[in-house]
Amino acid sequence: MEKFIQFDDICKYYTSSNVQANNHVSFSINSGEVHAICGENGAGKSTLMNILFGMEQPDSGTIQVDGKPMLFKSPSDAIASGIGMVHQHFMVVNSFSVAQNILLGSELGKYGFVNHKREVDFVNSLSQKYHLPIDPNAIVENLSVGLLQRVEILKMLARNVKILILDEPTAVLTPQEVKEFLKTLRQLASDGTTILFISHKLQEVLDVSDRITVMRKGRVIGTTETAATSIPELANMMVGRDVILQVDKPKAKPMQAVLELRNLGFTNGSGVKKLENVSLTIKAGEIYGVAGVSGNGQDALVSCICGMIEPSQGKMIFEGKELKGSSVQQRRRQGIAHVPEDRITVGLNPFATVTENALMGYQNRKDFSHRGILNKKHCEAHAKTIIDSYSVAGASIGSPVGKLSGGNMQKIVLGRELATHPKLLIVNQPTRGLDVGSIEFVHKMIIKERDAGVAILLVSVELEEILALSDRVGVLFSGRLQGELESEAINEHTIGLLMVGGTCT
Amino acid sequence: MKNKQIGMKIVVSLSAIMLGILVSFLLIAPTGVSPYKAFGVLFSGAFGISGKVWPLWITLGQATPLILTGLAAMYGFRVGVFCIAQEGQYVFGALMAAWLGVQLQLPPWLLVPCIMIASIVIGGLYGLIPAILKVKLGVNEIISSIMLNNIATLALEYLVAFPLRADSGQKAQSAVLPQSIWLFQFVKGSRWGISFLLAILLVVITYVYIWKTPRGYELRMVGKAPLFARYGGVKSDHVILRTMFIGGGIAGLAGCLEVLGNYHRVMTGFSSGLGFDGLSVAMLGGSHPFGVLLVAILLAGIRQGAQLGLQISLKIPRELGGVLIALIIFFVAIENVYRPYVDKLYSKLVVVISKIGKENQKTREVQ
Repeated sequence: MEKFIQFDDICKYYTSSNVQANNHVSFSINSGEVHAICGENGAGKSTLMNILFGMEQPDSGTIQVDGKPMLFKSPSDAIASGIGMVHQHFMVVNSFSVAQNILLGSELGKYGFVNHKREVDFVNSLSQKYHLPIDPNAIVENLSVGLLQRVEILKMLARNVKILILDEPTAVLTPQEVKEFLKTLRQLASDGTTILFISHKLQEVLDVSDRITVMRKGRVIGTTETAATSIPELANMMVGRDVILQVDKPKAKPMQAVLELRNLGFTNGSGVKKLENVSLTIKAGEIYGVAGVSGNGQDALVSCICGMIEPSQGKMIFEGKELKGSSVQQRRRQGIAHVPEDRITVGLNPFATVTENALMGYQNRKDFSHRGILNKKHCEAHAKTIIDSYSVAGASIGSPVGKLSGGNMQKIVLGRELATHPKLLIVNQPTRGLDVGSIEFVHKMIIKERDAGVAILLVSVELEEILALSDRVGVLFSGRLQGELESEAINEHTIGLLMVGGTCT
Repeated sequence: MKNKQIGMKIVVSLSAIMLGILVSFLLIAPTGVSPYKAFGVLFSGAFGISGKVWPLWITLGQATPLILTGLAAMYGFRVGVFCIAQEGQYVFGALMAAWLGVQLQLPPWLLVPCIMIASIVIGGLYGLIPAILKVKLGVNEIISSIMLNNIATLALEYLVAFPLRADSGQKAQSAVLPQSIWLFQFVKGSRWGISFLLAILLVVITYVYIWKTPRGYELRMVGKAPLFARYGGVKSDHVILRTMFIGGGIAGLAGCLEVLGNYHRVMTGFSSGLGFDGLSVAMLGGSHPFGVLLVAILLAGIRQGAQLGLQISLKIPRELGGVLIALIIFFVAIENVYRPYVDKLYSKLVVVISKIGKENQKTREVQ
């Protein structure tokens, strides 16, 4: 097989987030193969694909397609040259039919009129040619996610693409749909389409691909023949051994159980099981780390405990009492504090001042408002205390939070949440996007709280963070607790294996 | 920081007004009247302080319902709901006043507050309809509130033509309220009276409510950062319903005050777009109660000046006033187009002013 796409020394640096997303990336893809690209979150897979598809421009390096150097200025350029991409989030018009969606922008017809029959015929022949059965007249909003994805793929095939990029295509599918989908991919490849398949679910990758390239921290770690590798080997390549952030941590002295989850389950509005049979116990004075690739139920788990959503099954016992049915506010009063994953839109209101942000959750407490009027002095003093005791650089009580750096924003969230003296502290991705100094600060704060007897639930997709902080680790995979590890058993290889759906032996 | 934001808001509003006036110049020029003269007349017709009934008093009288409907619309904007049902709420408030004023037999000191409360309640309930539809069923509030306006306007036409009709005369109108419950006017024939003071009071109360109370805090957070509010345990649905009830109530009160203080009855065509004007007022006023107050007076003034000044003394059609208002709103709406230039100009201005200030200080020090 000849080389079809050749990446040569691609570099991409994001100044805004200070990340080297692609670091001298070079590898090649053969024509007609299913080539999987694996790596943890933030390994640079999506950036590379966006560069290939013309959505981003590399800082340096070249791409050769079919022997000719190509750098696309926009996705339409890429499509014109035969490269199509299906995004994780579907880009369809819900009220249009399948045929209308597939031919959107390149309608068939004459004199400015659309020939409906020709369009339907075209889609029918397309779907027969590629063995992707679909009803061209169905309205898109009535389709299942699996069929929607098929529409997206047909949309690309209708534009005669030779290369199909699929960004985490199975993340939204049910297990049955995944099986069907992988078959489709093999079918397409045998018909001559080259497929680039981004995933971090290793079992799928092994099932479907011809070759696998593993990326880590913007670099290519290696490319292997699928037949010659195994899950443990891939997991090892993905996770690797990097400098682990050193955190001084005395041994934990766990005390009584604070939160106990029993067979917790959550099924979302479209019937997808986000959580299934999760049982775990978090004790006072310990850090329970929840590891896992993002999107494996972490959000549902946190939202259930905080009261943003109601679990469909199971029990949540907090300090001996069932949590179900009580509001977010009641849970906060009982001693649950939460540092959310998305600090800019969930944890804070970037348009509001530091004082207003520090006030959230306290506004109805007696010392903060009296007879329906806010006590301005007390609110400002509260904000001032947070600014001073966490040394939030650049913040004053009246300045908008949106102007602060990520680390300083996180300090305000942490300060506000810890000022309630919680019994359970949930920290979800507490250091995402922060610089090293802020990471260290946040980690120290978490350990300090643990030593003061707070039960801590740490959710993170950063393995290093889990390893550095956790006293016990639970690994989520597809909404289930794939395994639980304690003290000596906690190591990156075992966690990496569990994260991708393996089992510890 | 905050001061700069408020400063920018004011600068943008001012530049919109200036641009509107500039384009109106071009429209007046072909009539042969000097635009300077036209605007002089417009101004004195709006804010003049001469004659038996000062134009300023009339303007303040006409601004009263605008202030209230502007406040009503503002509550929706602040909580992130683009409800435009103020017209319907206004109409129902007026109908309630016209009906109770004739039907209820109570001493005036008791009757007037009763009517006001009833109008506020019905306006508020009418405001709750699109809010409940939005919160519980996800119905788009713009569409539902447009439809509710139509219902209210048609209900008014029906009620004054049949059940509430006072006589079989040519005009369909309700009976005149007893004079004992007419609201006091400061200057006879000016429409400027107690209602204006009530409107000012509500401006102040609204300011306090939105910026000084926990409920107002929750309202603003729900409007600007709904996810943050939900995360913090604010019951967003309650906040939206409560806010829309308050807004509806204020629009209902506007209708009530127009009946008690001004028309003393409702008649066919009573609904004249005051509710819609409230939206423009709230928008131009930067969704701030004091902004609403100023803009309401300004818009009422332009309208009044166009009628009194342009039409009567210069024979320029008073519709020009409407055109001027529309132009101003237009220039606020396309603010993004010229904002960068205004921004530059503004920061230059700030630099110049601070320089002058420093030099003054120096000279003083020297002295």
